[in-house]
Amino acid sequence: MMSVTAEPDAKRARFVWAAAFVIGMGIAGGVINSVHLGLIGSFVVALVPMLLLIPMVRSAERAQLAIGCATPATHRYNRRMLVVSFGYLLALFVTLGVTRRFEVQGPLLWVMALLPTIPILGMILAMGRLLVEETDEYQRMRFVRASLVATGLVLVLASLWGFLEMFNLVPHIWLWAVFPVWAIGLGIGQIANRWLFGEPGC
Amino acid sequence: MLILENRLRVLRAEHNWSQQDLAERLEVSRQSVNAVETGKYDPSLPLAFRIAELFDLPIEEIFVSPSRRSSKAI
Repeated sequence: MMSVTAEPDAKRARFVWAAAFVIGMGIAGGVINSVHLGLIGSFVVALVPMLLLIPMVRSAERAQLAIGCATPATHRYNRRMLVVSFGYLLALFVTLGVTRRFEVQGPLLWVMALLPTIPILGMILAMGRLLVEETDEYQRMRFVRASLVATGLVLVLASLWGFLEMFNLVPHIWLWAVFPVWAIGLGIGQIANRWLFGEPGC
Repeated sequence: MLILENRLRVLRAEHNWSQQDLAERLEVSRQSVNAVETGKYDPSLPLAFRIAELFDLPIEEIFVSPSRRSSKAI
């Protein structure tokens, strides 16, 4: 069992790794857009901050143990999300590399366009599996509640943005943005859970 | 929201169990035990039965019926 002082340390480490990942991805994006590295070079530059996901997930699991919300289902969920996140990076670079280098048309263009959605569907499947496999009803309820907050956020933002866009008041946003916005909503939902139950979520 | 009062903390203390000990016996997280004990979460009927069976007590000796509690208050 973790000591009392271990809990804040574990929680702090989780946020430090998450911040390092976000900053690293920002820097990688800036480098890729400003320096011509070629496809392999860009992939390597993007892979470096992606590797930070591994210590980030490990520190998140240590924090979950310290908080007391870790379950076997959340452990499997973390691992699945880690795998599909790397799959997403790979699929994205394959699609961008092939479509920029070759004049892709017809069915292959459909395949290339849909390739990055396969790991995204994997993420959604991992979330579904978490709901199915989670035997701890309190933790499942917290995840469902956070998911509802995320869904509400997406519905509100999509409705507002859609009408604003229709009158050319805001720029166009690709529909794939719905999932990352929903994921941000999931984080906001966890904060809402904390306000409601007075305990951090997993 | 109506929250059930319960004697879980007292029963746990009588058995000299930590929240983690009880969580492992119920196969839930420690946070879940804490949420039930502190009245932040009402367990489902299956979990309430598991708790009752673990302490070898009827459910109503662990969880206080809200209607009985309000009638006592009247």
